[in-house]
Amino acid sequence: MNIFLQATFEGLSLGAVYSLVAIGFVLIFRATDVLSFAQPAMVVVGAGFISYFATQIGISFWIAFFLGIILTGILGFIIERTFLRPMVGEPVFSVAVLTIGIDILLRVVLDNWIGINPKYMGDPFPSFGNFGSLNIGGLTIKYLEVTALITSLLLIFVLSVFFKKSKYGVAMRATSLDQEAALAQGINVGRVFGLVWFIAGLLAAFAGFFITGGFNTLTNSSFISALRALPAVVIGGLDSITGAVIGSLIIGLTQAYVGYYQFDIESAYNIKLGNGFSIVAPYLIMFVILLIKPHGLFGTEEVERV
Amino acid sequence: MSKRPDLYTSYRKETSIFPNNTQKFWFLVMLISAILVCFVASDYWLILLTNALLVSIAAWGLNIVSGLAGQINLAHGVFVGIGTYASAVIGGVATTSVIGYELDLLIWLPLSGLIAALVGMIISPIAVRLKGLNLGLVTLAFVFIGSHIFSNMVFVTGGSGLGRKAAKLKIFGVDLNSGLEIGNTILQKNQILYFISLLVAVLLGIGVKNLVRSKTGRAFAAIRDRDIAAEALGINLFRFKSVSLAISCFYGGIAGALLMTTFGGAEPGTFNLLYSITFIAIVIIGGAGTVLGPLFGAFFFVLFPALIQNVVLSSNLSEQDLLLSPQQIERVIFGLFIILFLIFEPRGLWGIWFRLRNYFKAWPFSY
Repeated sequence: MNIFLQATFEGLSLGAVYSLVAIGFVLIFRATDVLSFAQPAMVVVGAGFISYFATQIGISFWIAFFLGIILTGILGFIIERTFLRPMVGEPVFSVAVLTIGIDILLRVVLDNWIGINPKYMGDPFPSFGNFGSLNIGGLTIKYLEVTALITSLLLIFVLSVFFKKSKYGVAMRATSLDQEAALAQGINVGRVFGLVWFIAGLLAAFAGFFITGGFNTLTNSSFISALRALPAVVIGGLDSITGAVIGSLIIGLTQAYVGYYQFDIESAYNIKLGNGFSIVAPYLIMFVILLIKPHGLFGTEEVERV
Repeated sequence: MSKRPDLYTSYRKETSIFPNNTQKFWFLVMLISAILVCFVASDYWLILLTNALLVSIAAWGLNIVSGLAGQINLAHGVFVGIGTYASAVIGGVATTSVIGYELDLLIWLPLSGLIAALVGMIISPIAVRLKGLNLGLVTLAFVFIGSHIFSNMVFVTGGSGLGRKAAKLKIFGVDLNSGLEIGNTILQKNQILYFISLLVAVLLGIGVKNLVRSKTGRAFAAIRDRDIAAEALGINLFRFKSVSLAISCFYGGIAGALLMTTFGGAEPGTFNLLYSITFIAIVIIGGAGTVLGPLFGAFFFVLFPALIQNVVLSSNLSEQDLLLSPQQIERVIFGLFIILFLIFEPRGLWGIWFRLRNYFKAWPFSY
């Protein structure tokens, strides 16, 4: 039972972090009709910025943290302006491949900077910060995971308020419904595009910190864990924020349960799932769900006319 | 008539593989020079050229399913990998950790293509249910599941980090690994491989050209342009989508088998996401939906990095002087080219070639 609770908690925390990346995906997809494969790279870039300011330059953690997040947001904005604005109206797939190109560029630069040694994220509270953990009734709960869960939930709440109440939030919703109609209403659609990429960048950087924080460290393969937000989005449906959150939780929980129970399952049924199965498991789930519901759990079905 | 190469008097003529004599002429010139290159080029360039020919076979495969039939496939590298290991199992040598049957090239080459095609057929019902971006994402899942299976099926692939040796180069029972003696000249292994690749590439290239002008090819184009309209016209979507995937996998499998033989072995980690994306980039850089495009793209993709490496090596710069290693420079340029081609020349190298050709066709009255 303890193992189950432990796995559940870790899964929820992971899922909450993934949901930040996933929301970024969904925001970009809804507003600009672009499926950004560059989002996982943005996650790593965010982590890289924070690590650079906090450990290499050595300014105070909080300044480094916010500087890193803002810079990642600005990078998202710049990418939209330079590479994606000329592609407005092009086929969806071409734009998706273009973001793969961006992803390659970002990752080469970053891999070169990271090198062989893992990078640390810096620590706000050296005595009990990222590396510490809490012990409640046999469960080991890392501070980092608690913070990740709370921060993610808080960010999701802030975002939902932003979409409902603020002027730009409403403009973004209008743009995602119909770009031309939004233009006709006097909404600056170009600015909305930029803003969406900015917000997606912010979220990616937050997620980057939590994915690579503490003992996880930033390495050349951190990118793989960031990419796991992709099946999460697909499970939930490409255009649903609720779906993104629920999909991420499913993915997070799967990953944690597989991690803890793989050995038991293998010995109980005498099968071999192989090393690193917890990396593949999310994709298998995505596979099954897409077969049952081709548009994801919460995605709207496309109505097509000839 | 010979003065008016663009005048066609029948549909058959217009759709023939070489519609006019100029094209026949240039095809022959290219073919003969391709054969002659074999005796002139050094081993380094010969292997590169072989590699380029094989990569273009794989790129043709992706072009059939993505460029021609319009179905996004991010997992082409996995099918190339299936062909690779199929050839290694059928034609390779068994060791304590891997299985192998040491059969003839004439058996393992077609079989590795067919096995890849079979796997494509098996998963095609899944792919047919979806379309557009969702299809792309499912194929992305294939990449991860595929590389997981590759690295865990140790008795086939040799396991991650280790890999296994390639199939034996044996035709009609004659072992060609140490070269072949014809009269006074000795054909080295690399030259033999080059000839085999050239032959297969020419055959499969004509195959693509034929496919494009056949009923199946027209059905593919109809599905790409509007699948619902195609269905309304009586095209069986399920059948043609599966067929396109199967043919594409066949090409990938053949290319994979020969690629592995060229390099002598393969490690399961090769067939990762970047490997699959490479083929997409080649098709885009070359020009999607055309026959010549993937060929241009593949040669560009294989020869350009070699040029960069030569430049870097000959420029007397040590690795410390450069910000990035040659491999990273390669990747940066690769990423940049994907972006720039998509923004400025969506028709790829083929589009540039097309405009150049038309410019000189009408010269001096080009506008």
